[in-house]
Amino acid sequence: MSIPCLAHLRARYCLATQFVSVDFGLRDSIIEEILSCIDRRATFRRCLFVGAALLCLYPTNSARAQDTAFHEAEDKYMFGFVDGSDIGNEGEKAIEFETTGAFQKRGGRYSAVEQELEFEQVPTQFFAYELSAHAMAHSISGVEGLDNINNVAFSGASAKLRYLIIGRGPGSPIGLTISAEPEWSRIDGTDGTQTQDYSSEFRIVADTEFIPNRLYAAFNLIYVPETEKGAADPNWQNSSGLGLSTALAYRITPTVTAGAALEYDCAYNGLAFQTFDGHALYLGPTLQINFSPKILLAAAFMAQVAGHAPNDPRALDLTDFSQYRANLKFEVEF
Amino acid sequence: MKRSPIKMLSLAIAALMLGSFASMLPADAEDSVTVNISLKDHRFQPAELHAPAKKPIMIIVKNLDPAPAEFESNMLRVEKVVTGGGTITLRIRPLDPGRYRFFDDFHQETQGYLVVQ
Repeated sequence: MSIPCLAHLRARYCLATQFVSVDFGLRDSIIEEILSCIDRRATFRRCLFVGAALLCLYPTNSARAQDTAFHEAEDKYMFGFVDGSDIGNEGEKAIEFETTGAFQKRGGRYSAVEQELEFEQVPTQFFAYELSAHAMAHSISGVEGLDNINNVAFSGASAKLRYLIIGRGPGSPIGLTISAEPEWSRIDGTDGTQTQDYSSEFRIVADTEFIPNRLYAAFNLIYVPETEKGAADPNWQNSSGLGLSTALAYRITPTVTAGAALEYDCAYNGLAFQTFDGHALYLGPTLQINFSPKILLAAAFMAQVAGHAPNDPRALDLTDFSQYRANLKFEVEF
Repeated sequence: MKRSPIKMLSLAIAALMLGSFASMLPADAEDSVTVNISLKDHRFQPAELHAPAKKPIMIIVKNLDPAPAEFESNMLRVEKVVTGGGTITLRIRPLDPGRYRFFDDFHQETQGYLVVQ
């Protein structure tokens, strides 16, 4: 019978706490245990586990040393599909590659991936704008209510105007921003067919820091009016969307932030919510990595966990919404 | 009078843009307070600046080093490159009392504070 290895138990504790709080004494005792394991010719597996624990401790202590380096951070992209209120610093310019995917509808195989190339500038301490060109790739096969299609095309252009009403910081624990994102599309985002589509996404964004420079929270109220005319359709169709989303994000290290987001979306016919079309609730994780002060990567994934479309008894609304969403942003500031 | 949603949206976008352009106007130089700071051997001198609350602030940064620096602050919401031996002027909005950290984005350990009282 093998003797329980103290380091083994402590290593399990270390892995469970995921770099959060392990003291230096524990690190020293694990080092002693490794030497002891070697002396006792302990099993390779045990030594390996203890070694892994030591590796685990390295970033722990590294992170501890950097605790004082948790300075204020921009939270614009921290929350994935949910916006933060920060708009950037006056004088900032950036190029951004943003990929947004919608996956899985009712039956068959469905993917709609949009690639945006964005130029972003912050001309004042209160205002920022983005100019974007869009391309879309659709791969649809055997999906209920949609024609099969496989195409990639330039799909349109958009601009995003962000106006900071209240800046988070001394004097205000809450940040508040409003934004408008008018967009022209020549490809229908859902079915991939040719269309003429004009829409604008309006957001009211509020955020706060529950733990200064560490734990952030954001809330968005979203309204998206849209008017669209298919290539063979003589009439314009109006629709609108209403969304409410919230997210939490925690800075694990000064450069890595992880969190979770929740979004509730409703779809309507008409610009002012005339007829209810369906609703969906999404939930998913977020991650942001700052590779350097000028380069960041933000990723988010959401799955529809509840939803319903009128006249469809089945769970989830996969007529108006996809089952999964993913978003990837890569920003290079210059 | 009932307005169509499209007209209301257009008005909202126009108001947003108007507000944005208004905010681009520089602060009145006569009302603002000027503070000076220099960079020498990758250190801010002085490392702590003081300014009154609720007044526009002009920060004049002189880089006495030969290497360029970037004066940046997420709290002040500004960033600007200052060339080696160069000088820049930053116009800051009226601030609430507090400590506002700034740093050199090219040498992140180089930092200082603007104390607003």
